[in-house]
Amino acid sequence: MKFDISYTIDALPRLLEGALVTLQVTLVGFVLSLSLATALTVMREANNVRWAHRALAVYISFIRGTPLLVQIFLIYYVSPVIGLDIGPYTAGILAITLNSAAFVVEILRGGLASVPSGQFEAASALGLKGPALWGKVILPQTFIASVPPLVNEFTQVLKASALLSTITIVELMRVSQQIFSRNYHPVEVLLGTFILYFLMCFAVSRSAALIEAKLELRRG
Amino acid sequence: MADKYLELIGITTRFGDVEALQGVSLSVARGEVVCLIGPSGCGKSTLLRAANWLTPPNEGTVRLDGSVVGHAPQGRATAAQIRALNGHRARIGMVFQQFNVWPHLTALENVVRAQMVVLRRDKSEAEAKARQALADVGLSDKMDAWPERLSGGQKQRLAIARTLAMDPVLMLMDEPTSALDPELVAEVLAVLQRLAEIQMTMLIVTHELGFAMRVADRIVFMEAGGIVEQGPPQELLSNPRTDRLKAFLDKLSLTTLPKDREHAEI
Ligand SMILES: Nc1ncnc2c1ncn2[C@@H]1O[C@H](COP(=O)(O)OP(=O)(O)O)[C@@H](O)[C@H]1O
Ligand SMILES: [Mg+2]
Repeated sequence: MKFDISYTIDALPRLLEGALVTLQVTLVGFVLSLSLATALTVMREANNVRWAHRALAVYISFIRGTPLLVQIFLIYYVSPVIGLDIGPYTAGILAITLNSAAFVVEILRGGLASVPSGQFEAASALGLKGPALWGKVILPQTFIASVPPLVNEFTQVLKASALLSTITIVELMRVSQQIFSRNYHPVEVLLGTFILYFLMCFAVSRSAALIEAKLELRRG
Repeated sequence: MADKYLELIGITTRFGDVEALQGVSLSVARGEVVCLIGPSGCGKSTLLRAANWLTPPNEGTVRLDGSVVGHAPQGRATAAQIRALNGHRARIGMVFQQFNVWPHLTALENVVRAQMVVLRRDKSEAEAKARQALADVGLSDKMDAWPERLSGGQKQRLAIARTLAMDPVLMLMDEPTSALDPELVAEVLAVLQRLAEIQMTMLIVTHELGFAMRVADRIVFMEAGGIVEQGPPQELLSNPRTDRLKAFLDKLSLTTLPKDREHAEI
């Protein structure tokens, strides 16, 4: 079978649609993951509750110690069994969120460690407390310090979302499979898929460099 | 009572086995400038940080204008107590050795933020206040600068402006010039001197004896977790009563000799 680029070109419009879904689930999953991880980070820091720390540590080691694919299957197949009627999208995004959050918590821990204790003290001494102290002073600095690893995590999530094809989510990888299982030209179709994934990740890391340059001045 | 605006009563603070403060009592009158001196590790910072309950002591009481800032030992603080404490903190300005300006905000935003959040001032009022405070410390031309681009002296003046905008009734300063390059010390001391002139009540930890001599109404000498000696600057520095203060001044004078003392010795 000869390589024929026209199969790549023909597949492109549908691949782009799939890429759009990939971007959507990635974005939603990442935003949820960042929110969850932020909440966990503040809780870990603010409450010195021993069992909460233990629970978080167990959660992180379970997530990091098992394959994402297994986690996706687990949530997708177990949720109906326990009476939760969530479709593949919700299940998939939930899996991605829970998985990514375990990594983002660790990223934010590093970012938070780079915020000098004097920042807490100055804010407290001015009368800021709780949500204002975290929201206006500590978290902005934590995020700014965490931009490079967070962007990296975003691309990890984007790439990992290909696994969602296994639970019938019609994202880029699934679209690609659908096309070449019909036209029997996997090489051409996968080439297009490959390039689209690469372009998305490339664009994300390039924009990260721009964000970085913008944030440079806001570091202490 | 007028001569007891800030009252620290029987402050004892322990860090593990270390007793950093051993039942220290100190009062500051309204409009008074008190400079705290003493060797490193004697508990100056800990005492200052007890005054706004930033480092709550194990025992002791702090009162500001008759109302309790903190009282120890005490069980878990109630919501009302926490609110009251933050109310006090909003009126007690604190200036740190390491400035602790907020790097993610411009100079103006640094000064605006706490006013809006803590004092619930609206944006235009907070900005007007901030511009005034920045002008007071000589930073009118740096409103939109990022702290990253400011010198150490400018950062410290920004930190002072940030607290001034809160209309403080008391300022606590922990070695405000110790982290500065020598040529930048004067600009910060000048700001502090102006605050003293407008009768700002201040408790200042400093090693700048010349400055203390000029602006302090009283100098308090601490050592090993307690107050050893206190009095008017001239009297205290030129005529130390205790051997411990004498030894401290002798050691310090090897590096920074205040002029008056130099003459006194000749
Ligand atoms: N957070 C802390 N944890 C443990 N020990 C501390 C802490 N802060 C201060 N200390 C100890 O308390 C003593 C007094 O410290 P400090 O008040 O900082 O002294 P100064 O400001 O006069 O140099 C020192 O022995 C210091 O090591
Ligand atoms: Mg100190």
